[in-house]
Amino acid sequence: MASITGSSSLMASLSCNKLTQTLTRAYNFNVVSVAVSGKSFPSLKLSSAPSRFRVSCAATPETVDKVCSIVRKQLALPEDSAVTGESKFASLGADSLDTVEIVMGLEEEFGISVEEESAQTIATVQDAADLIEKLISKN
Amino acid sequence: MATPSRTEIISLFRSLLRSARQFPDYNIREYTKRRTIDSFRHNKTLSDPSSIAAAFSDGQSQLQVARRQSVVYSLYAPKIKSIMDVKP
Repeated sequence: MASITGSSSLMASLSCNKLTQTLTRAYNFNVVSVAVSGKSFPSLKLSSAPSRFRVSCAATPETVDKVCSIVRKQLALPEDSAVTGESKFASLGADSLDTVEIVMGLEEEFGISVEEESAQTIATVQDAADLIEKLISKN
Repeated sequence: MATPSRTEIISLFRSLLRSARQFPDYNIREYTKRRTIDSFRHNKTLSDPSSIAAAFSDGQSQLQVARRQSVVYSLYAPKIKSIMDVKP
């Protein structure tokens, strides 16, 4: 069985009869491991890029934290409530008016300007953080 | 006009909040924001199409007022900013 972490992977093949070659890809696509039946090789790194474990979305944790704090303040949630990147606004008790107010608050906080269509599609905290990052990097 | 759709109402809300930002005067800015939020929440539960349409056209005329007035106020913006605008 194979278990893959961000930086290394160990392969043990299942069949003993024929040559099985299993290629698996890690999150960051720069670690490829090859295992031959009967033996298990240590992972071969095909590229020399640093294999940090990277979150696959574009937003930094600080941005996500700021978005979470603005959401908490707008919806009057207690400090220890669970607001993560995956929380949907609707599940936190926000209606569409609240969502508009949150987007306004984010515009003021980050000094960006969100268009109408992009604002309609924001449903989770992570969406908002990604959009913010994209707009900040475009400026 | 016919009953406004949900998107139009949200878009009106957003336009009103954006127009509030153009005011140089802190008090008017805050009042515009507060008043739009309060009135939209108050009318959130309306179900009768004619009253929804009436509230919507009301909001549209208020938006025109806010846009005109923000231009006029900007012409004579005070040089000394309100204390609330100065970040600590």
